[in-house]
This record gives sequence, C-alpha cells and structure tokens, in this order.
Amino acid sequence: MQEYFKKISDLLFNALEKSEILILNFDAEETDFIRFNKSKVRQAGKVNQVNIDINLISMKKTLRSSLRLSTDFKKDKVLIIRTLFFLRREVNELPKDPYLMYEKNQNHSELIENKGINSFDITMRILDISSSIDMVGILSSGKIIKGFANSFGQFNWHESDSFNFDWSLYDKNGKAIKQNYADQKWNQETFARLYEDSTQQLSVIGKQEQSIEPGAFRVYLSPSALNEIIDMMSWGGFSYKANKIGSSPLHLMAKGEKSFDDSVTFSEDLSNGISPRFHSDGFIKPENTELISKGKYEKSLISPRSALEYSVTHNAAEDYESPVSIKLNCGEIDNSKILSKLDTGIYLNNLWYLNFSDRNNARITGLTRFGCFYVKNGEFVGPINTMRFDETMYNIFGEKLVGLTNKQQLLMDTSTYEERSIHSSTIPGAIVEDFKLTL
Amino acid sequence: MKEDFANIVRPLLPNVDYCSIRFVSRYSNIINATRNVVEPVFISEDEGVMVTVYNDGGCGYGATSNTSKSGIKSAIESAIEWADFTKNRLTYYPKISGIKKQSGSYFTSEDEQWSKISMKDKADYLLEVNRALKSKSSISNWGAGIRYNSIESQFIDTIDSNIRQKLSYILPQMVVSAEYKKEIQTRTYGGHAHARQAGYDFIDTIKMHDRARILAEEAVALSKAENCDDKIIDVVIAPDQMILQIHESIGHPLELDRILGDERNYAGSSFVKPEMFGNYKYGSECLNVTFDPSVTSELASCNFDDDGTQAQREYLIKDGILQRPIGGLFSSQRAEMDHVACSRSCNWNRPPIDRMGNINLEPGQTNFSDMISSIEDGIYLETNNSWSIDDKRNKFQFGCEKGTLIKNGELKSIVKNVNYRGITESFWNNLTTVGDKSTFEILGTSNCGKGEPNQTIFVGHATPTCHFKSIDVFGGV
Repeated sequence: MQEYFKKISDLLFNALEKSEILILNFDAEETDFIRFNKSKVRQAGKVNQVNIDINLISMKKTLRSSLRLSTDFKKDKVLIIRTLFFLRREVNELPKDPYLMYEKNQNHSELIENKGINSFDITMRILDISSSIDMVGILSSGKIIKGFANSFGQFNWHESDSFNFDWSLYDKNGKAIKQNYADQKWNQETFARLYEDSTQQLSVIGKQEQSIEPGAFRVYLSPSALNEIIDMMSWGGFSYKANKIGSSPLHLMAKGEKSFDDSVTFSEDLSNGISPRFHSDGFIKPENTELISKGKYEKSLISPRSALEYSVTHNAAEDYESPVSIKLNCGEIDNSKILSKLDTGIYLNNLWYLNFSDRNNARITGLTRFGCFYVKNGEFVGPINTMRFDETMYNIFGEKLVGLTNKQQLLMDTSTYEERSIHSSTIPGAIVEDFKLTL
Repeated sequence: MKEDFANIVRPLLPNVDYCSIRFVSRYSNIINATRNVVEPVFISEDEGVMVTVYNDGGCGYGATSNTSKSGIKSAIESAIEWADFTKNRLTYYPKISGIKKQSGSYFTSEDEQWSKISMKDKADYLLEVNRALKSKSSISNWGAGIRYNSIESQFIDTIDSNIRQKLSYILPQMVVSAEYKKEIQTRTYGGHAHARQAGYDFIDTIKMHDRARILAEEAVALSKAENCDDKIIDVVIAPDQMILQIHESIGHPLELDRILGDERNYAGSSFVKPEMFGNYKYGSECLNVTFDPSVTSELASCNFDDDGTQAQREYLIKDGILQRPIGGLFSSQRAEMDHVACSRSCNWNRPPIDRMGNINLEPGQTNFSDMISSIEDGIYLETNNSWSIDDKRNKFQFGCEKGTLIKNGELKSIVKNVNYRGITESFWNNLTTVGDKSTFEILGTSNCGKGEPNQTIFVGHATPTCHFKSIDVFGGV
C-alpha cells in the first residue's frame, strides 16, 4: 500500500504548476468486524477502504477534497487528476486564508508493525470461551494505515495490525460487566485471564440489587469511568481556541480563576506510539505536552490555525484541538486497597451518556451503567439501580477528590465511526466524596 | 452512478441462498465562515459496494471501495468466506422466503441544484450572515455554515430486485455567543434540528441573515438573564427541542434490535419489552407517533430501506397506546412482529441495522396562543444544547439554550441554563396538549450514532409544539 500511495503522490506532484503546493493525507484499513449477541455471531464481514485527502494551496488560498480510492491505478488516476483540475479551477474563486500554515521542512518518519492477526481464529476462541454465558460485543481486527506526503518532499507512514475486542457479559437479571482486550497480537492467556475476571465479577453482580436514592455519595471511579469524564473535559477543555471564545468547560480554569487538586496532572502523551506523531499539515507533534500541571492549567493544545489567529506558537495540534492520547498521572491510593479506602460508598466501573448541565461552570451529567456496586465497610454488597449523576469537574478533580490510584490503565478507544480510532488514554482510578446522584 | 452497474454486477452474483449488492456513491461539501473568515472548504467523494451473502445457515458481508469488477469479486469472496464460517453460529438466520423482489426509485426534489451556485457565492453569503451575527459588541464568537450531502445508491439481489435512490440534504448552521461578566451564553440555528432533503433553494427560504440578527440579540439577552429556578412546573416545548425528546425517548426505545439485545454492549437496550406492543400505555391519549417515509423534504424520506424493503407510513403509537416497534424485516422475523422499512446503513462500508427513519409526532388541535394562555405558571423551552439518557432510554436529562417564563397565560422574561429531567415511562403521560398544524415543523438531525461497528446516520422528526404538566426543571450552578 505504501508503494501505491507513493505512485499516486508522484502522479499528483508531477502535475502541479510552479506556484502550487500540495498536501496529501492517506488513510486505509482492512478490517474484519465480528459482532456478537447471546454468545453467537450477529453480523460478520470484511471492510476494505482506502482514502486520500488532497489539499491544494495556491496564492495563499486553499481547497481540500477527500477521495475514496479503489487502488485500481487506471481508475484512480482519472479520478485524482480530474480532482486536481477541479481544485485548481475552484481555489482561485475563494478568498485568501489568513490562517493558512503548513510545514515546509522535511520530517520523514516510518513505522510498520505487521504482526499478523487471524480474525477467524480469534472469533473461534471467543465463541468457545463464551458458549455458556450471555456475551454481547464487537471484535474489530486488521490493518490500519496513515500516510502523509507533501510537494516539499516530506513522507510519513504509520502502519500496524491491531485488534480490539469490546464485550459485555450479562446475567439473567439483565445486569452486566464490561471488559475490553486490545493489542497488536492476540495472547490467549491474557484474554482468558481478562475473561475469567469478568465472569467472577458476574457473581457479585448477581447479588440482590441495592436501590439507591438521590443524594451525595463517596464513590470510586474506575479508569474507564473517569475516562468518560475526561472525554467531556476534552470537548474544548484543552483547546486554545475554545478557551479564547468561551466554549471550553475549563475556560475559568484557563483564566486562572479555578484549579484542580495538586495531585492532578494531565498531559498529551504520544510516547506509546498508538497514534502517529505527524500532523495533517506535516508538522511533527511533541512527544509530551503538559496540559494541567499539579492542578493548574498549564498549556492548551494549539493548532497552526489558532496560532496564526491569536499570534501564539502552536504545538502541532490538529484543528479540533483535543487530545488523542491523554495521560493522567498516578496518585497514591494503593490499587489493591481501593475497596477498603472507599469504605462505604459506590464503586463505579462505567459511566454512560455524559453531557453538560452548565458548560460555563464545568458541570456535567450522565448515568451509571456496567458493573456499578454498593460497597459497605470495604465489601461489595450488590449492584445498584441505574442512577443519574450531576457534578462539576472542579469538584471531581478538585476539592472533593480524595485521591487517585497508584496504577494506570491503558484504554484503547473503541470508536469505529467512519474508521477505526487510534486514540487512547492512560488513566488511574479516583475516589471522590459527595458525588451527587440526582435521579 | 454507473448506468450499467446492474448489468456489470448481475453476472457476478454467486449461487447462494440469497445475495444482495448495494452500491453507494456519496458527495459532501461543507462551507463554513467563522468570525468573518471563510474556513478551508471541504469536498468529499466516496463510493463503494457492500455485498451480503446468506447461505446454508451462515451470513457474511464484504465491503470495498474498489468498485472495479475484480474489487467486487473480491468482496463477494469475503462475504462467502464469512458466511461459511458463521454457518450454525449465527444469533439468527432469516427466512429467505420472506424477502420480496422490489423494483423502484426515489429522488430528492432539488428545485435549485447545489452545484449551480458557485463556491464563491456560497462563501460570500456566509460572510454576509457572519456580519449579521456580529451585530453587538458583546458577541464573543460567531459563525455560519452549510453542509450538503448527496447519497446515491443502487440495490440489486439474487431475486432480481433493482432499486435506485438519491437522497440529498442540506444542513444550515449558525452559532453566536455573547459574554457578560464572564458568563457566556450561546444561541444556535440548524445544528441538531434544521436539516432537510432539498436543494440550495432551502437556503433561500430560511433567510439566515434575518435569523442571525435575532439569534445575536437573544444571546446577548441570555448572557444577562437570570438562571432558571429549580422547580416542578408546566413546560411548553418548541419543535426544535421536541425532536430530541421524540428521538431519545420514543425513537431509540422502540428500535427492535435494541429490544432484541444487539446493542447491549454499546447504544444500550430498552425498557420496552416485546409483550408491551398492542397494549402498553406509552403516553396520554393525545400522543400519536408515526413512522412516515412519505413526508416531502423530511430528512429520511425514501421509498425503500437498505435491505430492499418497501417503505410506508405506520403508526408506532396511536392514542397513547404502543403499536409496533421500529424493526426491519429481519429483526421483525426474529421477534415475530410487524416490520417497518427501517433497515438502514450510514454508507457502503457498514451493514444495515434497525434505525429510525422519519419518526413524527402528529399534530393536535391547539394553537400556540391558546396553549400559552392556558398556563398559569410554566416555562417555554427552545433549542436543545444537552442530551443524556440511560441505556434503557428511561431516565433522561435535557438542556435548552433558551427558556421563557410563562406567568398567568403570558410569555414573560427569559432565563438561562434551563435543564429538565424525567423518566420516559411517566413523562409522555404528562403530555397535556399537542399543538396544531400552525406549530408543526419538519426537522431532522444528521448525526444519530449507534451500532457496532459504529454508524452515524440522518433521521427526520416532524412535530408540533407540546405542553407537559409537572416537569422537574432546574438551572445552572
């Protein structure tokens, strides 16, 4: 596929006129999607898709076209040359773009990790182990490719095989445990251990439901639950532009009027190599950008466009200016003593469908979902009924934060809208006091 | 669309129990102008095929962006390979005899074609709208945009079906924020609601620059307004909020694949059980909800779904009583229930699943003025800005951009940060009055997410203004 991208890149670059600049972004995936319900296959199939984004720049004007490719060169050649001519004709009609910025230096990179994944074999193993339990979920497995090239000569390539199996186990009362296994190579022992963990939790969830009334509770938020809250924070919270225009939930924090607890340090950390470090306009992203440092707002993610609009230095963030690989530093709560530290309260494994109640004040709402238990004197009592929470991020990460756990979990984004996500997060758990449940 | 697609593909159809091939060609164009600057214009051209094979107790699909003959052959091989593998391992194998041969077409009516208006003219128009939005000094952010999508498809199968459809829709958007003493309030137009199947003529009819001035004034007023009080009162909900209420607490819980458990790992299940159809009192007697693919210009209007089932209007809820689920042919076979033509996919690269099409709340008899004058103490809610509901679609909380207090039958001052919460099972029984046709609006949302693998799709909702009694309303921090 790399040779194919180079071939069509050369075709386009050779067709350019002197004053023109071309930026190309290439995406491809070969994915097997196997959907399960009731421990059987609900839908299964293969998707092969190839895409190229062609961004033509001429006289400080820009116009971009995204094309689905067939990889039949004869067919694609007609399409991309026609598109180049169309862009050339139309771009002149548009006004100059005052915030246009692109990399002119050449920063080549290549990462290829093909470890080979057999989706049929994995599916068999999943079906074998789950035959006696009500399992529902999705296995996405195969190759993901990201490529970049520009007419200055830069070339970047990021190609890897991976899988992501995301599943839930249900008991006969409709209570469920959720689990995930994602990696580049299937390890049956790891999978069997994770599966065994979730089946053991099913025995706890099978206990008598504990009916919770609205009120304020001491809660443990698992890495997965905390990640949902951090996802909401990322709806503009770390964006330079969103903080400038006021749509950021953390705009008061960015202005220095609010803060989190000293133990809270967030960073955009690309060192795990899951997302490529090259930007869609060719810039290379820093490996680590500290966003919130010891509870204080340190730095936003700044795209090249924002940098020009607000006369600041960018840090190679994409235009959407939200993290792709966020990390929250560990705290001091011993991960093996979460229940005793929680003592009496609610153990929240999973939160669901979050949104803002008051964005200005970072107040959010959402619901409990998978694997949420009432805990008394450090012991699981039973699962709780579905409850709605309504709380501010300043309480959760600030004055009501008891502490973060001393162990982080790598969470791979399971999103497959349009294409498989390569976002991830590395997050510990947290214990929070007076967490408000409202309905 | 290739005129000869069917002729090329038919000879490739494999000798299996059933095989369908769905070709999809999509075109998108997004133009935005923000703070008086035209942002990079985006154009997308996408085409591919989805092959689905049912054979001997197994089912598989193969999807590819390679629409050459060799690419389609390869997709057929993938579909057969997965069909072989899943033999006797499927949750459900459909009754192939229940699939009917269909032929026909559907095309959105575009009085003024999108391509006939130059990119420059569209950009200039949006800059004009930007100037109208930035009409006050306290406006801190503003922007306007138009998105156009055209989705052309052709469906053929081993029983000689041949369906061609082309759906085109336009989504206008405006946003304007005002700041007062560090309080930022936002008004929007479009976004979650004002999408329509239409050509560029739709833009001419909505007069964005006139609306822009009103939105700007409202954003400024909201930034200085009081917070909404916490209390239980009557609410009157405008169509641009009603559509989210219908979408989340009627549409989703009635999706049959959720009821059958397919979505339990992601979008969730439903409080609705199969035995509730035909007898469950979903709401008050004035609640009438239809699945209606026949409304001109509504977002999901069509003649066939993506499994080739012919679409027609059906009641989902009649006089408050639950009638039938939103389930396509195959889900309905699984549940042994009636179906609607709702098996839809977002593109060629995702398999069809049960989806809302146009889910409409039918108008009643009361005009807006009479509705307001009947209320002693209440609040009129406009434009959704926050939505959250549990995985069984029961406990919900929604936020609105603007609230207007109702006192002694009259609209009074506006309030900010308005939220309300409730439980679906009781909420619709609090529906007191349904607005008449003069309050009825055809709206729709373009970004309903669901499914594994994930899919975002456009759905239509048409609704009048509605009055509910005794709702738990509350404000911001």
